[in-house]
Amino acid sequence: MNTRVDSRMIELVHVNRSFKRADGQTVKAVQDVSVVVEEGEFVCLVGPSGCGKSTLLQMVAGLLEPSDGGIAVAGKEISGPGRERGMVFQKDSVFPWMRVIDNVEYGLKCRGVAAAQRRDIARTYLARVGLAHVERAWPRELSGGMLKRVAIATVFANGGRVLLLDEPFGALDYVTRRQLQSVLLNLWDEGGSAARRTILFVTHDVDEALALADRILVFHSGRQVDDLAVTAERPRTVDSLLLPDMVAIKRKLLAHLGLEEGSAASRIAASHEAGV
Amino acid sequence: MSLTARSKTQSDLSGSLFSRLKTMLAALDPFQIAGVILFVAIWQSLTLRLPAIILPTPLGVVERLFADFLSAPALSYYGVSEANLYGNLIYTAENVAVAVIAGSVIGILTGLLSARFGLMRAIVDPIMMTAGTVPILVAAPFLLIWFGVGRASAVCLVVFYVAVILYVFAQRAATNLDPVYEESARTLGATPRQMVRDILVPATVPEILGGLRIALAGAWGLEAIAELLGSQSGVGKVLEALAGATDPQGIMATLLALGLTAIIVDALAALAVSRAASWSASAR
Amino acid sequence: MIATTRARRGRWISVAVFLALAVIWQILSMVYTVEAQPGEPMIAGWQILFTKTFLTLSDYWQGGLGVPTVADGAERSYLAALLSVLSHSADTIGRMALGLLLGGAVGLLLGLAVSWSRWTRRLFDWPLQFLRTLPLLAMVPLFQLWFGTYFLGEVLFVAYGIAVIVFAGAVNAVRNVPQIYIDNARSLGASRWTLYRTVILPAIFPAMRSTILLSLGAGWSAVLGAEYLGAQSGLGFIIVYAQQFAYLDRMFFIALLFILYTSISYWAIGRLSARLLAWAPPSQRR
Repeated sequence: MNTRVDSRMIELVHVNRSFKRADGQTVKAVQDVSVVVEEGEFVCLVGPSGCGKSTLLQMVAGLLEPSDGGIAVAGKEISGPGRERGMVFQKDSVFPWMRVIDNVEYGLKCRGVAAAQRRDIARTYLARVGLAHVERAWPRELSGGMLKRVAIATVFANGGRVLLLDEPFGALDYVTRRQLQSVLLNLWDEGGSAARRTILFVTHDVDEALALADRILVFHSGRQVDDLAVTAERPRTVDSLLLPDMVAIKRKLLAHLGLEEGSAASRIAASHEAGV
Repeated sequence: MSLTARSKTQSDLSGSLFSRLKTMLAALDPFQIAGVILFVAIWQSLTLRLPAIILPTPLGVVERLFADFLSAPALSYYGVSEANLYGNLIYTAENVAVAVIAGSVIGILTGLLSARFGLMRAIVDPIMMTAGTVPILVAAPFLLIWFGVGRASAVCLVVFYVAVILYVFAQRAATNLDPVYEESARTLGATPRQMVRDILVPATVPEILGGLRIALAGAWGLEAIAELLGSQSGVGKVLEALAGATDPQGIMATLLALGLTAIIVDALAALAVSRAASWSASAR
Repeated sequence: MIATTRARRGRWISVAVFLALAVIWQILSMVYTVEAQPGEPMIAGWQILFTKTFLTLSDYWQGGLGVPTVADGAERSYLAALLSVLSHSADTIGRMALGLLLGGAVGLLLGLAVSWSRWTRRLFDWPLQFLRTLPLLAMVPLFQLWFGTYFLGEVLFVAYGIAVIVFAGAVNAVRNVPQIYIDNARSLGASRWTLYRTVILPAIFPAMRSTILLSLGAGWSAVLGAEYLGAQSGLGFIIVYAQQFAYLDRMFFIALLFILYTSISYWAIGRLSARLLAWAPPSQRR
């Protein structure tokens, strides 16, 4: 595991995770997942709720430990959270007791970056997410979409090479979600393709995955069931979603989610209903 | 919306004392003032029917408060070491202050720790929960024997009381804190010490300070009764002396002084709460 | 499921903690044998508490039922001790119960009356807040001066302490009834009186639960305080009377009894209100 091939950023090797449920039964949330993510790749994890995609992300973040298997980031086996991996949560995680700018600085402060320097960095990223005018505001004064911008600025300011986003825009309205997608893409793309950070992005929104990802991993019942490359040019527009390739991918995704005939998932669901 | 809210806060902070007084006066409700007048009027009309030895007039009580505040020579006949209200109020307030500080340090530390360490919680919870329901006053006579008549036993009683209340509040605040904040801090690279300092403590401060105000309110009465049971000075000792002299006017004047002190301290505490918890919408 | 097993484990740990405390007490009594007075150990072991100490409580038997008092020259007896404990307990509990009923009823009625309109609420706001800030326990001498030190004075004092808390709690609870319930009832055509009876009263019930538990604590404190200062009977009277002679074992015995009663009262009121509140969603059962 220590022999790092240059471009590999995240490696999951036979990762398993099981939970004990309240009634004492063991639930296998993630089963035997092996994935390699290249540096600078934008990977979306898609699947129905309860498929294990969020559990997987939390394990990469180091908030959960795998029951079995190994996870390496930049060639090193991980143990616990680390600042090379930033995380944006589905719930609002912006600290309400710190002003906006202090939130963005927090990671830098934790590792002792000088006050003036970290303020510069924080201001830069606040400006990039369009919140320069509220740096002294309290989080309670901001809307849900603005809070997400703060969370994104915080992880980018902290400088991690890997960013983990767990359904970050799930609770937002359509317009805000689209705005934040482009905020995220612009930050990811700011230094050209060579400087891109590696992103794992959990979502249940098929269109969001198609708009953002280089690659889409599909999960079902704790297993990885598909791995789809999205080759459409960036920046993607409404028209890119209508390209034959994209429509084909979308059809596959919908099938995996049981929304289209002929998929593995719908066949499994059907067999359950039939009592097989 | 965010911008207007922000500029309002700033003008609040930079506003002069005078403008703040003006806004306070504007916020006064005529009905509240009418209520106070009504209260005093009912009291006054009752004094017309009852002898002064039972119910003194409101004016008499206020006059007595002013008269006794700096000098009440009669008190020295009853063995009160300071023959004025002022000195005894200071004595009582000192004891309350010391006890509230010591009690809150103990209560907050054990409460926060117990919320994060299950074993500690399992052991401390039964004791604290019992102590929280049983009136702590039951311990007062024991403390009088163990520590003797004087400051120590009264302070000890109040320390215990405050510690129990703040234990409950701190524990609840820490338990109810959404785990997403601590997870987020961990992914940003915070050490355990930084998590306590930057997440656990600031996040729980509003609720803990709310508990502190509740503890403070009860502390005055507890301190007073501890002094009534055995002390050489303090408001409780004054009350004991005046009760022995069958002097309801003096008792009511002393209670008024104690009540006003409690109100002022509570107002200061409320100010501290809104300062320390300015981030929290509920603190406003 | 996991919640119940955890609760059961928590209960076992509680029992273990209290047993451990009892054992530590016993060990202390054997190690630390200093006496407050000759024959009166500072820390009395359990074997002494339930025999010798219990027997000495017959000193506080005030006569009647054909059982002579120690003051009249009779020998100490377990019967007199038992009667003594029972009669003083009855005094304390009676004062508490009457005060709770009286204060609870008066406080609730006044609170509801004041909450009738926004005008009355504002009118009573400041006097109410002032009465709440007056330290209850410091007011014992005033009540004893007004109403005496036997039964009436103590009951009224307890009732006052409870009424103030229930009053404030009721006003606060009515103010916090979600406006949507009121709007809904009014849009359905409820008159003001119907609204009060069918919406406000049930809606304040969950919030009143914590108020009642709070007033229970204040009530017990008030009884104890009143009995410490001048009452001629009750558990608090025995504790303070024994304290003057430094009879620590008697004080300890009575204090344990008092703790037992208060714990039972909390448990009983908690169970009762939980049953009455079975309809409320858990978030409202504070």
